[in-house]
Amino acid sequence: MADISARTSPKPSRSPIEVGVDRIWRFFCSVRAAVAEISFLTLLVLIGTLRGSAVPQWIADAIPATQGFVDRWYAWDVFRSGIFAATLAIIAIAIIVCTLNRVPGIWATISHPKVTTTHGFLRGAETSATFQTAQDSAALTSSVTDLLGKKRFRVLTEKVGDETHIYADKNRMAKLGTFPFHLALILLLVGGIVASVYGFRDQEFIIPEGSRRNVGHGTGLSVELNRFRDTWTEVGIPSQYQSEVTIYDGNTPAKSGSIEVNHPLTYRNATFYQSSFGNAAKMLITDPNGSVLYNDAAEMGIYTLRGNPDAPAGLIRLPEQDVQITIVAPDTNPTSQPQLDQLQLRSGELWVHVEPLGGNVTPINTPMGTGEDGVVITQGQPARVGGLNLTFERETRFTVLQVGYNPGIPIFIIAAFLMVGGLAITFYFPHRRIRGIVTPGPVGATLKLAPLAKRDWSGKRDFFSLLQQAREVIGVQPEVKHPANANDYDYLRNAAT
Amino acid sequence: MDGLVRLSFYLFAASSMALGAAAVCYIVFAVGRVRVLRHAMATDTGMTVTSTSTHVEAGPIGFARWGTMLTAFGAFFATLAVVTRWSAAGHFPLTNMYEFSLVFVAFISWVHLAFERMYRVRQLGAITLTAAFGMTLYIWSLPADMREVNPLIPALQYNSILTFHVGAAVLSYATFTVAFAAAVFYLIAANRDVAWLPSAEMLDDVAFRAITIGFPLFTINLILGSVWAHEAWGTYWQWDPKETAALFTWLVYGVYLHTRTLRGWRGNRSAYILIFGMAATLFTYYGNYFFGGLHAYGGV
Ligand code: HEM
Repeated sequence: MADISARTSPKPSRSPIEVGVDRIWRFFCSVRAAVAEISFLTLLVLIGTLRGSAVPQWIADAIPATQGFVDRWYAWDVFRSGIFAATLAIIAIAIIVCTLNRVPGIWATISHPKVTTTHGFLRGAETSATFQTAQDSAALTSSVTDLLGKKRFRVLTEKVGDETHIYADKNRMAKLGTFPFHLALILLLVGGIVASVYGFRDQEFIIPEGSRRNVGHGTGLSVELNRFRDTWTEVGIPSQYQSEVTIYDGNTPAKSGSIEVNHPLTYRNATFYQSSFGNAAKMLITDPNGSVLYNDAAEMGIYTLRGNPDAPAGLIRLPEQDVQITIVAPDTNPTSQPQLDQLQLRSGELWVHVEPLGGNVTPINTPMGTGEDGVVITQGQPARVGGLNLTFERETRFTVLQVGYNPGIPIFIIAAFLMVGGLAITFYFPHRRIRGIVTPGPVGATLKLAPLAKRDWSGKRDFFSLLQQAREVIGVQPEVKHPANANDYDYLRNAAT
Repeated sequence: MDGLVRLSFYLFAASSMALGAAAVCYIVFAVGRVRVLRHAMATDTGMTVTSTSTHVEAGPIGFARWGTMLTAFGAFFATLAVVTRWSAAGHFPLTNMYEFSLVFVAFISWVHLAFERMYRVRQLGAITLTAAFGMTLYIWSLPADMREVNPLIPALQYNSILTFHVGAAVLSYATFTVAFAAAVFYLIAANRDVAWLPSAEMLDDVAFRAITIGFPLFTINLILGSVWAHEAWGTYWQWDPKETAALFTWLVYGVYLHTRTLRGWRGNRSAYILIFGMAATLFTYYGNYFFGGLHAYGGV
């Protein structure tokens, strides 16, 4: 067995590196170190929690000398600090090392437990029971192993001379329950890392009605806004708005549904939330040969131009043609100041300006004016601007969604089940072990049983309840050695009365 | 006030009185009886010298029996109070401090009775029922308009997740309270010579068993909380103080579970950690008094 060979082969001389590695390994294996590490993490979490409360300030108010310290406390973003990350990393390493270290030994006790024991062990046990019977050894052995079997114990026996040694255990897999639990803790960290590295949160994902836009960030998803609907209260406050969308995975429609405030839509690891909406201009742009360069809606009003600050502006980029097209819609807001509106567009008109991509004019600074610099076009009438044919087809709307994309979700789900499942196995199916020896005698065989339940009250209680049945099956009253606190156990209390 | 809501409140009031009386009974039982023995001796100078010795013994068992019965009444009334409020509101009542606390009172009473049956340790009631009664006093102290049933704000409308999230938390708090009670009695039983208390070993087991129920429940609470946060706000974990306070409490019990397997730690030190865990639990429960943040709208 693994641990025996490890014990019996002490290397006579080891290099300092080996000794060092061994020390570090043993440090990580130790539960004592684990307690220290988790306690430290707990302390950090407490410090970080209190930072979100008035408690540090109370301290500073009570002891003014601590004000500087308290200020630094408030300034320290614990959960994004290096110390916090390092503590989590150490705990993760400790869990891995500790698991690797424990698995072989635990597996050995599960699959090949030592069956034989000694009279000294049974005599020294804090709790034990001795049945002095008139039966022969074989009959006694079979009645006790039958009983244990019926109680769902795994029973192993081994003949040593004329004695039979018994080892029985129940829920032997329980010891393994801590592994899924601890590994789930690591999975949570992995999930968190995956989410922050590969996931993203886009606060402003805009889709005009009838258009399809890529979610980007390597998701391979795109979303088409089929229809946007809004309802307004009498006083002009939007009461609810709703985007009817189709989500595409690559080029195949994967999911359709509607997104409302507080009713997000989720596909795979991406969740879409309704955030806002606005107006858009549906544009058709062709080159002089008539091939379509752009047939989509441009969202208006995400920004405005410096030179005409109250009117909604939009931007279309055509990288292949190396142009960017700035468009401005009429200023319809009655509260705007008219003197700032140089364009004085009427409803159904757009102001258009074409210039090379990457030119030295940022869109927001697009020069105003008409002629060379800008052209006013009318809805439905194609116009030639900067060598392109532009048509303003109609006004539509766009929706603003938020996108959360979290590829850590499957990992979190697995971790959640492993945690709860692991805890359930560990706690509700406790490992129970009993050792015993059947010794033949002149009158009849003697059975001596003892539970491995040191400092384990429930283990002893279960042993006593087993004795109750053993007494009936074997037909004699056992002589019981029990801990001082006899009153704690039903069996002993009943035996006393 | 709607009729059912009013009935719920009266049931709560009945429960509060029963639990207060139960707490008194359990305390009388747990403290034990102090016997003062007086010895008188006549000396040869003609004086009489008296001396007294005190000696403590188990409290009258009748009080414990009354405690159990009153707790059962209290549990029953508190449960009815929850059920009537539930039917009045149309959803399980776990949306503000009044309702959490009412459900806690029902849970702690039942959990206490379950442990009392399982282990036959009635002394625990001196602490668990005091906690239950204390919580009813807290409910009395809350502003009266919380007794009304109000419509939920949109972010709280995810009913089933919300219910299981908060329900798991409140039930785990009840088991943590039992563990706390067992830890306190453990420290007395292990360090003082009090023959009438159950053995320290059993009390250690009571505390551990309570944690084996509470810790997984609290784990579920954290998991469902993050699922719910995702539904409502789009992120699983915000490092919001209420969340990190819960994480803190969870880690404290994690430390406890490890120390129990360590020689030299199991026993007194584990018991102290459970007492600290109770403080952490209170801190999480009453966190809204300390923090703003996303969880603040459930009302104080
Ligand atoms: C520092 C890294 C950690 C190490 C090396 C470690 C090690 C261990 C070991 C060896 C056990 C088994 C004890 C036994 O059965 O005798 C254990 C049990 C356990 N640990 Fe950890 N652990 C670590 C972190 C954590 C954390 C962060 C938690 C969560 C709060 C946790 C929760 C548990 C639980 C619930 C048990 C089961 C206790 C029981 O069976 O009674 N562990 N741990």
